[in-house]
Amino acid sequence: MSIQELIQTDTGVSASVSSDPAAAPVITVSHLHKEYGTTVAVDDVSFTVRAGEIFGILGRNGAGKTTTVECVTGLRVADRGEISVLGLDPRRDRHELHERVGVQLQESAVPDLMRVAEAVELYASFYREPADGRELVATLGLEDAQHTYFKHLSGGQKQRLSIVLALIGRPEIAVLDELTTGLDPEARRDTWRLIEGVRARGVTIVLVTHFMEEAERLCDRVALIDHGRVAALDRPSALAIAATTGKRVRFTPTGPLPDGLLSALPEVSAVERHGPEVVVAGSGDLVTAVVLALHGAGIRADDMQTETANLEDAFLAITDETPHNPNGATR
Amino acid sequence: MSTAALSLTLRQRRAFGLLVASEIKIAIRRPIGLVVAIGIPLALLVVFGSIPATTRPDKQLGGISFFNLYVPTLMVFVLIAVGLAGLPQQLATYRQQGVLRRMSTTPVPPSWLLAAQTTVALILAVIGIGILLGAGAGAYGLALPHDAGGYVVILVALVLTAAATIGLGLLVAAVAKTPQIAQGLTVLVFYPLAFFSGLYVPLQEIHSHLISEIAKVLPTGVGFTALHDAFGGHSPGVEPLLVLAAWAVGSCLLAARMFRWE
Repeated sequence: MSIQELIQTDTGVSASVSSDPAAAPVITVSHLHKEYGTTVAVDDVSFTVRAGEIFGILGRNGAGKTTTVECVTGLRVADRGEISVLGLDPRRDRHELHERVGVQLQESAVPDLMRVAEAVELYASFYREPADGRELVATLGLEDAQHTYFKHLSGGQKQRLSIVLALIGRPEIAVLDELTTGLDPEARRDTWRLIEGVRARGVTIVLVTHFMEEAERLCDRVALIDHGRVAALDRPSALAIAATTGKRVRFTPTGPLPDGLLSALPEVSAVERHGPEVVVAGSGDLVTAVVLALHGAGIRADDMQTETANLEDAFLAITDETPHNPNGATR
Repeated sequence: MSTAALSLTLRQRRAFGLLVASEIKIAIRRPIGLVVAIGIPLALLVVFGSIPATTRPDKQLGGISFFNLYVPTLMVFVLIAVGLAGLPQQLATYRQQGVLRRMSTTPVPPSWLLAAQTTVALILAVIGIGILLGAGAGAYGLALPHDAGGYVVILVALVLTAAATIGLGLLVAAVAKTPQIAQGLTVLVFYPLAFFSGLYVPLQEIHSHLISEIAKVLPTGVGFTALHDAFGGHSPGVEPLLVLAAWAVGSCLLAARMFRWE
């Protein structure tokens, strides 16, 4: 991992409503494996989702996230492995599963010429005990769009309708796949608040995403999927801490930096130069050690910034260390 | 489907009813299907029913008028239109846009959407053919069968031809990966089928052995002949009805085997 890849963020890990480690598991996946022809989409994935938590499935495009949730929601048959959702087998008890698990998938839609209110009424009729469609539409801020054709909705409105349809059956679990992809930052933040609101109603949420910030902000626990395997699974903050041995300091020296000045310090593990800027990685009291060493050499450090690790660092560190699957993964 | 339909709960019937209702609304909002299935046949009926030359008995056509010969053709054309003018593109579009995928995550499987589409096609067929018969007999002196047997044959021939054209439409929807391919395949199937229903030239006026042999095999040729016989008070025999049934069963089974939901 190069230091340059690390991006500073101004926020730490947000404290989220904690999930109870003792809560009963509602989804158990063990040793899931799925291939398409000769391509291994999911190699070996195991995880448990607890009641009431927001569980993140994080990974690059093609890491196997979508295939994993498609198997969990009964849309695909796993080649190997055990899946249990609310005590149900996703294939055998598919019908019952779909009554109790709301799913929002990528590349899914309602017909172009269907109005919002019609789609909500139609989908409500599919379920045993549907929620109040009007109330959901209002909660998601779609009241003004009720009589709008689906094709005339904005990207954000389509996503919100998609959430309404995923929740219309009063699900115990909602699986939301790449919910905020294609949304502008403001709409994304609105959607995050919505998801927190849904969890507050007692719905367990499985959130598939490739946005670090999203996982960091929302999820109680995150499974990092890389090349069809779970590379790590923990709270976002724990992953961020575990992935980094220390901190980084970046600054612009006022004079030429003698070779070995900083790398000789016991606190320093690496020094990189990027044009006039110097980035130093290390541990302990790094800032003090660096400033003192520079001062001793008659150099001042301008624009000094310190960086703390976040989930993105963790992701890069962990996925780089994971042995790559020789077959590669395309989904 | 029919045995499954009997065991549907009240809630499932309501869901299916809403599904059909929403497909009808969509059909009205994008009325190209209605125009082809109802508007064009009605326009042709009015044109040929109003021209004296086409309503007089014609020796070359075996002593009946061109108009009387053309109404069974238009009835078959309605069935081609409902099966092939809208159904395959609509289903291919639903697959491409993820409408079928969206439904596959609910307790109601996407096969219900196919059933709803088929239902809408049948409703359109009933309306289109009803208008042809009503307007033809009421306004233009269409010669109707003299006995109940003739009506039974007409009904059986219509049902089997409809099953064949809708089956072919579902088959096109099954093999076409995109709406564009569905459109292309539809054109390839639509015009030959329309030709053998006698839409462009009455088959009786084409004295070609090859053409009449093909007409005995293609569902629209067979359907037309059976209807024509029934209108004229003749029995078409069992063979054409078996040919139609074979098309209906074959295309539906093949479509069911080959259909991809995404």
